[in-house]
Amino acid sequence: MTDCMEPAALARAALAIRRKFLDMHYHARSGHLGSGLSAIEILTYLYSGWLRETDEFILSKGHGASALYATLHHFGKLSDAELATYYQDGTLLPAHPAPRAIRAIPVATGSLGHGLPIAAGMAHSYKYLRQTDARVACLLSDGECNEGSTWEAALFASHHSLDNLTVLVDANGIQGFGRTNDVLRLEPFAQKWQAFGFHVSECSGHDFAQLHAAIGPPGNGRPRCIIARTVKGRGVSFMEDTVDWHYWPMSAAQYDQAIAELDQSESELSR
Amino acid sequence: MRADFVAAVESVLVGDPRGLFLSGDLGFNAFEGLAARLGSRFINAGVAEQSMIGLAAGFAITGMRPWVYSIAPFVTYRCLEQIRNDVCLHHLPVRIVGNGGGYSYGVMGPSHHALEDLAVLKVLPNLQLFFPCASDQVAAAVGLLAGLDAPCYLRLAVSAYDTPRVALSEHPRTLTRSYALRADPGKPGVTVIGAGHAVQIALRALREHGLDRENADVFGIARFPIDLAQDSGLLASVRETQNVVFIEEHYAAGGMGESMKFALPPLSDFSLMSASYHPEQRYGSAQFHMKQAELTPEALVALVRTKLGSS
Repeated sequence: MTDCMEPAALARAALAIRRKFLDMHYHARSGHLGSGLSAIEILTYLYSGWLRETDEFILSKGHGASALYATLHHFGKLSDAELATYYQDGTLLPAHPAPRAIRAIPVATGSLGHGLPIAAGMAHSYKYLRQTDARVACLLSDGECNEGSTWEAALFASHHSLDNLTVLVDANGIQGFGRTNDVLRLEPFAQKWQAFGFHVSECSGHDFAQLHAAIGPPGNGRPRCIIARTVKGRGVSFMEDTVDWHYWPMSAAQYDQAIAELDQSESELSR
Repeated sequence: MRADFVAAVESVLVGDPRGLFLSGDLGFNAFEGLAARLGSRFINAGVAEQSMIGLAAGFAITGMRPWVYSIAPFVTYRCLEQIRNDVCLHHLPVRIVGNGGGYSYGVMGPSHHALEDLAVLKVLPNLQLFFPCASDQVAAAVGLLAGLDAPCYLRLAVSAYDTPRVALSEHPRTLTRSYALRADPGKPGVTVIGAGHAVQIALRALREHGLDRENADVFGIARFPIDLAQDSGLLASVRETQNVVFIEEHYAAGGMGESMKFALPPLSDFSLMSASYHPEQRYGSAQFHMKQAELTPEALVALVRTKLGSS
């Protein structure tokens, strides 16, 4: 698995992060639950050992920030006091990442289609100009692949053989006002990235063994794209695979039910 | 100005290993030497301005100091959000260079004109704007940009009324130039201020249209934010004449004239000559457009004479 964690430990970490994530959202009464929940295994995998000290992670799908905050907190990169300010007046942790706010988040995002160009610039710099072995990972949403700037950067990454760049797509199949298949069809999605010159893998974005196999070792002369098939709202039954939970905050009853479902998952894990 | 820019930026980049140059697929017959000198530090980012600005931000985050070049409207409007979010909000040392300010591209048509670039950029946080008055100011502007650890924009342009003239003085930081002084400071006078290359209209008027016989101070400004605390000569002139003509090859709304009027003490007589298109607009050379917009040396002299009652 990753350098430091086994699958069971990763699953426990993801569960703890989900729990913290729901807690944050309930107390802040904030939305974007579905798009955070779909990314938690991906973020857990990256931060549990794949990302080294010299590597960088760019959350291009900025609306997943709260999941990133919860993950950074779990892995000791955000303090309890910092995380407690999430979504509150005076915070450095707004709903989408802020610029120059915290060390662990080098780039503010929130408007879609910005992350991959920045990540490609960093990867090019590390590979050719700074000549370090630093890697850059960039997490996109599938809806974000509507943006032309994403594909501009894909051309650049491929043209310059940025094999230190790993693109992950949180492909939960739902975007702001509908299903991606109904709004702007991306399929055949893997072939699109392949045609742009990427080494492409597809996997379940909730299965650590599959994520591990899909991310694999650094690409050989080509940037990588991992299309992680995910479920929006993953882990909370009534949030799964709906547009609604892109937006709603939880009521007290919904929060209690969500936590009860996580308790159930936890007891299944320890069996 | 482009040749002067290439020479200046080459000397900066050759001496700065952290510098690199990104072009939006432009530079034919201009950047070949620069590309050869810089090697891997010269990158043709393709016809992809949004990505190019994001790339530049990425380079800057890793400690590099990128210059980004394209035609002025392309490297500003298309990628305005990238400039705002990726560069300005992060306060990154990305130097954006737009060639063809105002009507420079003439008969290439309105897609290539830049008449709002300073307006849309001046409101962005942390961004500093440079718009040289003349080719012989480009090296100084490039030198200042290179020394800034901040986002900046350099507007290169060619004036249809280009009129070489040695400036009387140039402020080392604001780059504000004095080009002519009133013959009789005791009599009613006017302060003519050109924004960047628009000052060439006044220089042409001085040389060929009799502005030199009017009691006029002529200044060129080349930098925003305007800093009149440093530009004491310009401020003193306005205080004495209480009478300003501001010229810009840019729309009036959001232009430098508006900013200058706001920066100056309240004046009863502030006139603005600016660019425009007309409802029945037709297209042609830069000079054709300037005549349509009444942005000419003749119009300037007529306005000055009216203001001074000397016509």
